[in-house]
Amino acid sequence: MFDGLIRWARRRSPWILHFNSGGCNGCDIELLDALTPRFDVERLGILEKATPRHADILVCAGPVTRQVRDRLLRIYEQMPEPKWVVAIGSCACSGGVFQGCYNVLGGVDRVIPVDMYVPGCPCKPEAIIDGLVKLLERI
Amino acid sequence: MARRLLIPIGPQHPALKEPMGLRFRVEGERVLETHIRMGYVHRGIEQACQERTYIQALYLIERVCGICSHIHTTTFCQGVEELLGVEVPRRALYIRTIVCELERIHSHLLWLGVIGRDAGFETLFMYTWRDRETALDILEEISGNRINYAVNTIGGVRIDLTPTQIEGILERLDYLEEQARYYLELVTSEPTFVARTKGVGYLSQEDGRALCVVGPTTRASGVDRDVRRDDPYAAYEEIPFQVVTATEGDALARTVVRVKEIAESVRMVRYALQNLPGGEVRTKVRRRVPPGEVISRVEAPRGELIYYIKGDGTERPARVKIRTPTMANLVAIPHMLRDAHIADIPIIVAAIDV
Amino acid sequence: MSAEALVRKLKKALGEHIGEAWVPRPHRAFFTVRREELHDVVEALVNRFDIKHLSTITGVDTGQEIELLYHFWDHDVCFTVKITLPRDEPRIKTLTDIVPGALLYEREVHELLGVEFEGHPDPSPLVLPEGWAEGHPLLKDWSPPEEG
Repeated sequence: MFDGLIRWARRRSPWILHFNSGGCNGCDIELLDALTPRFDVERLGILEKATPRHADILVCAGPVTRQVRDRLLRIYEQMPEPKWVVAIGSCACSGGVFQGCYNVLGGVDRVIPVDMYVPGCPCKPEAIIDGLVKLLERI
Repeated sequence: MARRLLIPIGPQHPALKEPMGLRFRVEGERVLETHIRMGYVHRGIEQACQERTYIQALYLIERVCGICSHIHTTTFCQGVEELLGVEVPRRALYIRTIVCELERIHSHLLWLGVIGRDAGFETLFMYTWRDRETALDILEEISGNRINYAVNTIGGVRIDLTPTQIEGILERLDYLEEQARYYLELVTSEPTFVARTKGVGYLSQEDGRALCVVGPTTRASGVDRDVRRDDPYAAYEEIPFQVVTATEGDALARTVVRVKEIAESVRMVRYALQNLPGGEVRTKVRRRVPPGEVISRVEAPRGELIYYIKGDGTERPARVKIRTPTMANLVAIPHMLRDAHIADIPIIVAAIDV
Repeated sequence: MSAEALVRKLKKALGEHIGEAWVPRPHRAFFTVRREELHDVVEALVNRFDIKHLSTITGVDTGQEIELLYHFWDHDVCFTVKITLPRDEPRIKTLTDIVPGALLYEREVHELLGVEFEGHPDPSPLVLPEGWAEGHPLLKDWSPPEEG
């Protein structure tokens, strides 16, 4: 009986942690844009949190550089279950234009499992919201 | 005596928009030393450019920074055009300048929101980013994308402006100018914001010069330097403008300088649109770039951006060196943070527009 | 002051230390200096001519030698001081004692090209990841590490 209630609560208040794993910042500012009045994801219950321990969804932007790899893994491990990962932007999905660069490992899924890929360079706030909503429907 | 502690901030931290490693040695509430560790965003772009043709490298260059993507491609294209010895049509230079200044407007509004957020003034963040949407709408209408607009190409620009678009932009500029006036009044009279930024992160003029700091950070300390005036590029020789400086050298002065620059940029875009020359927007260029070296400099929203490009007669650059303005300003952070309160760290770091 | 006038002024004061000098276009000047004399030349620029702004240091591996270009900004001229270092002995005295702004630029050139800046207060890694042992990426004979 409680499962339904818990699932309803999770779907209504997905708190996100935003992490830039070595990108140009384009997708990060589009994500922050989603929090601002024109797009306003707070109406969907989404709040941006400061620490991984409070977050349900890790929203990751940027290709994974060698330097960032261990930190990304550590952040993922610090998040409590259940947790999901959304890779926003072409770089987070696959490395984007930086594929093959010596300090870049590739997309986020080279390090942690990804549940939703939102392509775009950068991905528009509407696309991010669409990705998040689709993810929430799966919960 | 208070204990000495080592506090790490980053690479994941809500105050940081990009991962960066900062280590502070603090005693009580006061910061004694700062150590900076970059490298989290180092993607090896300079080396990658050597393996690509000039046009392929342009795609990488655009993505050095998402907030100021156009200025990077402007610098690169200018440099390569100089190596090629081509003359870019005047209309293209004007359009380049218009997009540069629109980018400055959006970047400064973004920054104003970020520093508002770091100072605890969440409403300022919401207001400025809402107004920023107006600037992004203009950019999307003329180029097709809100960020990474891909306007520049080697030899000119890839877009042209129609009279209807120009009319629409002029209307929206009036709104942005009005908002810039409002923000100037706000940041100088709102007591909590002033209390959090006045006297914080002081950088004297001599230190600004000795540490080779650039951009609004140094102009707020009275160093009168602006690449647009001192080393004109694109259409800046033909567009009248004022270089904004201040003398107090603290975070509040940097805020005021940036807000005034928004208003100045609005006026420059308006002038450029009203005096847009006719003609082509691009000129055809050869693929092979003759041997030579060139230094291309511009005034990015954060300060002087400098590129060194070396051609060797082939389709690929022999060397592309990029020095972003933030790297020039990072040197000043340990200096400004000495004896600062821990609570002022986000404001001081944000004030150089990291 | 124009680039030509600046070159004339500096040549008059530092003539024997300056090798070649050229002005490719307005607002740009280049001159070459011997590696051992760089520190003295820059000291003169900073103390006698009040030219303190170092925009950046570019390192270029030409294959035969390593070039270091120090880009300075004086009013409306960007002038570059060019040094060449032998590839098998890429070392030069640090400028951080007279130009504090050179701190990060020297670290970057050290990491990416292997140039040693004698006397630099903190040559720790700046941009490359910790534990990087795959050489200096901007050298011409460098090749990327095998995919792990």
